[in-house]
Amino acid sequence: MKNAIFPPNSLILADLVERRGHEALVLQKEIRKRVTDVEIDSPPLNITEEEPIKGLKYAAIEVPSGVRGRMAIFGPLIDAAEAAIIMEDAPFGFGCIGCARTNELSMFCLRKRGIPLLELHYPTTREETMEVVNKINTFLDGLEEEGE
Amino acid sequence: MLQEESSKVTRMIILGPAANISQPELVRKLQMMELPLTIKSTCYGAVINGEESVVNKAVEDVRNLDYCNIFTKDRGFPPGDPRRCRAKRGGAREGFHQLEKEFEILGFVSEALENPKKVNLKKPKKVSVDTFKQIAEECEK
Repeated sequence: MKNAIFPPNSLILADLVERRGHEALVLQKEIRKRVTDVEIDSPPLNITEEEPIKGLKYAAIEVPSGVRGRMAIFGPLIDAAEAAIIMEDAPFGFGCIGCARTNELSMFCLRKRGIPLLELHYPTTREETMEVVNKINTFLDGLEEEGE
Repeated sequence: MLQEESSKVTRMIILGPAANISQPELVRKLQMMELPLTIKSTCYGAVINGEESVVNKAVEDVRNLDYCNIFTKDRGFPPGDPRRCRAKRGGAREGFHQLEKEFEILGFVSEALENPKKVNLKKPKKVSVDTFKQIAEECEK
């Protein structure tokens, strides 16, 4: 089953999803398509002027182009998702996931899809981490049972 | 050459804090597999690049070395890419800061994987007013 994760580049979430035999829809796969594409020959540009246009599917024209550009990358992952795991309050906000408004919009889009969803808070202590991992594993096992 | 590059995938292999193999050992094991891979040794483990099926096979074999303590993650940019490699840009690449943050709880994740437990995902139901009244009355006695 295709699982969207949020933050979309989280090591822990992606790894746990793959351990249970599901496909993690991670940001890096979308980025890879752009940075290794034969059409792109000027190295620093992995987002072209096409992206904010594609982002119009997810956000209105008044929304900053940065959000729309990011949504052009996150959007296809959200569309392809059959289940989702959202981890809120993650302390990292680097690179592509450094935009708070895009993150809010992505989470909203995932919630709106009506797919099986697990919402968690980023753990900081041992007990919280154990609980989060067990919850994720139980959720993923439940998806397998639903699929059968 | 570029066309060949676009069909390849890159994966990061990250050793957890309690892993029973070291980073040089991991790289050696990867080399001993004799798979057509580009292997880059890093401080957190290794980065491997190659055809998807080969990379997946390598990841599966590496995981079996220490199932609960070896983590893997996809990476968009190929290893040593001048757009991301710190040798060219200076400073850590963006993804490294995130990895550093997630590494802080990776030990607990390993522990949870070693001792799995079934948990209830349903939210507990609210206590009815009557039950609440009953509890309050019992406490007053």
